[in-house]
Amino acid sequence: MAAVKADDLDQLVPLFERYHGPLFNYLTRLTNDRETSEDLTQTVFERILKYRSSYQPTQPFKAWVYQMARNVHADHWHRKEKLRAADVDEVERTGGLRGAAFSQMRVSNHHDDLHEALALLPTPQREILVLNRFQGFGYEEIGKLLGCTAEAARVKAHRALQALRKIYFAN
Amino acid sequence: MKTPEPTACHEMEALLPAYVEHSLPAAEAERVAAHLPTCPGCQLQVTQLRALSDDLDAALPEVPRTALRANFIAMLEQQKAQLKPEATFAAPPAPPEAKVVSMWPTALANNWLRIAASIVLIAAGVLLGRNLHWGAQPPADLAANTRPAHAELAQALTGSNGNTVSASDRIQLVTNSSRQNEPGDPTVQVLINTLNFDPNPNVRLAACEALYRLRDDSRVREALVHSLPIQTDPNVQITLIDMLVSMRVRRAVPQLERLAKRPDALPVVRAQAEAGIGKLI
Ligand SMILES: [Zn+2]
Repeated sequence: MAAVKADDLDQLVPLFERYHGPLFNYLTRLTNDRETSEDLTQTVFERILKYRSSYQPTQPFKAWVYQMARNVHADHWHRKEKLRAADVDEVERTGGLRGAAFSQMRVSNHHDDLHEALALLPTPQREILVLNRFQGFGYEEIGKLLGCTAEAARVKAHRALQALRKIYFAN
Repeated sequence: MKTPEPTACHEMEALLPAYVEHSLPAAEAERVAAHLPTCPGCQLQVTQLRALSDDLDAALPEVPRTALRANFIAMLEQQKAQLKPEATFAAPPAPPEAKVVSMWPTALANNWLRIAASIVLIAAGVLLGRNLHWGAQPPADLAANTRPAHAELAQALTGSNGNTVSASDRIQLVTNSSRQNEPGDPTVQVLINTLNFDPNPNVRLAACEALYRLRDDSRVREALVHSLPIQTDPNVQITLIDMLVSMRVRRAVPQLERLAKRPDALPVVRAQAEAGIGKLI
């Protein structure tokens, strides 16, 4: 990333190779929508380029890029909310059209119970489980990303796991 | 045996996830171990947490479409193009030529090799990942509502009924078209035309994948071979190559040889064509 910061943009390619899959997964789990997640993943890499001068080489790249992905997702969320508030009719009309396209795009690979249960969790709980179980984040790293202690991250992750268990084994 | 206190079970609920992942301090682990034999409810929780943990570990990742990489590469090239005049004209104190030159040809060649290798992996992953689910039926209502007859499909895809259909809707039409088909289905010809003539590479890619699902139809192999020289988008080219290789279509070799020498093809595509020839002969 230091090379990218120094305007050697080709050095972003190996970083893309390493992180775009995990980031896409992370965003897909947050949004439950593959198409949106592809757009958001692209946005993450656009922002990496745009803000490359703000990267501190002392900071782990992984932490920096996931922070970026969280922000991208948060912006997406706010934009969606604003849109919903601004013009309900319009969203309903286009939402209906897009809904048809999404129905098969969204999380198309796994129509299984686990992912359905995950999708029912509140986003913060889902995020913490996805980071911990799918993205290989330790509690220390999760704490840094979410702005809490490692111990708090551990407690949150365990609560989320219990919440998921209750949904998963509900019937 | 007395029934455990509800407060004890409540406390257990917070401890059990850590107990299952063996991260509890010894004293607390002992308390859990002492409680469990007396409490079927907490025993059930442990069983469920273990099963859930196994299922989480076994969950497959979502694989992005190759379009994500194509978009990224396009974005990167655009940014690089914007950077170059600046580097030459703004002339910072360090020698800017060195920077510009160093990005060119050696670094680029290396990266192309890396991209080539990973595209192969991702494309294979996409094929494998989708393969597993291609056999599955879509929800009945979706299939019924969005699967027009081939004539309507052709009209909708080409806009010849007077309505312009957006690229994403065309992808949707194409994707749903091949869900259930019988031998000799005219849909195959519609999809072949879409593969060869749709202006949008993502729609063409969807047509590729739809045709791959219908690969038992004798026309499909031939069509994929003939489409190779028509395609100019690297993602479509690479997808075609991968499909032809995975279907072991040996008569694709002459077309692959031509593609491997095409000066307008990206190095990664030419390398993929070469690799494909190696696997087919
Ligand atoms: Zn109990």
